[in-house]
Amino acid sequence: MKIMNCPLNGPRNISEFAYGGEVKPTPDAQAPTQEWADYVYYHANQPGILREWWLHVPTSYWFIAERDVTTDRIIATFKPEEVLR
Amino acid sequence: MQPRRQSFIAVPTDPCSGSLPALAMADFSLRPRLGFKGAGTADWLAAQGLSLPPEPNQSVKDDQGRLIARLSWGEFLLLGDFAALQSAWSFETAPLCFPLPRLHSHAWIVISGDAAPKMMAKICGVDLRAHKFAQGRIAQTSVARLNAIVIADRIRGRLGFHLLSDISTSQYLWDCLCDAMLEFDGAPVVLEALAKESHGQTDAQG
Repeated sequence: MKIMNCPLNGPRNISEFAYGGEVKPTPDAQAPTQEWADYVYYHANQPGILREWWLHVPTSYWFIAERDVTTDRIIATFKPEEVLR
Repeated sequence: MQPRRQSFIAVPTDPCSGSLPALAMADFSLRPRLGFKGAGTADWLAAQGLSLPPEPNQSVKDDQGRLIARLSWGEFLLLGDFAALQSAWSFETAPLCFPLPRLHSHAWIVISGDAAPKMMAKICGVDLRAHKFAQGRIAQTSVARLNAIVIADRIRGRLGFHLLSDISTSQYLWDCLCDAMLEFDGAPVVLEALAKESHGQTDAQG
């Protein structure tokens, strides 16, 4: 069984989590439409280690996980405030 | 036609007899409960005289036996009669603290019996054994594939849990629990068998 460590709730079965996409900087509110379109619709989709948003569904708690998308190995998880300062 | 399993109205135990099955389960869903959420919640509840758990996923009991559960830094679940608190709340007096009614959103099931952790191991991935999951601890996790809040407690002097889960799927959960507890000689009992009023040694409040 695959286990992920939720920063709020501790280790939990992977079935309790939902993927929320890559962590990437949000464009400025006045940024051109093209930049917003890239932000919303385009993803790097490259192999390697990525930071991603994940949701612990029973608590609706969003956090950030560092995951090797090639091997699907979860390297570390963080509270959002630890990453987005 | 397959016979219907034990349902919410099944009451096989006499609350006056004092004896309980090895594993007993009662539906507390008609008992009062509520929640509050928001960045100012802890401050407001403390100002109302409540002793709060210092960390998320912990619960404490007050001197009336009511349970105060901290689900996150800013979210609390209160099991028991907190009507006075509900009356005291207003937008003006409780900044960044918002009521979260739980009476109609969550079913409340209480389980009592030393085999409760073993039974829960069949339907929940979190290790709920007493030496790993002490009294007062909370797990917000999946139980029988439903999102649920599990709170460890001593109930009638035995290991036990409060289980809160979406009320719309509570009949399914009840059936799962009835099925899971069969091998431990478990059975549903009437609410009074586990509630505080009828037994001095009981911890469960409602």
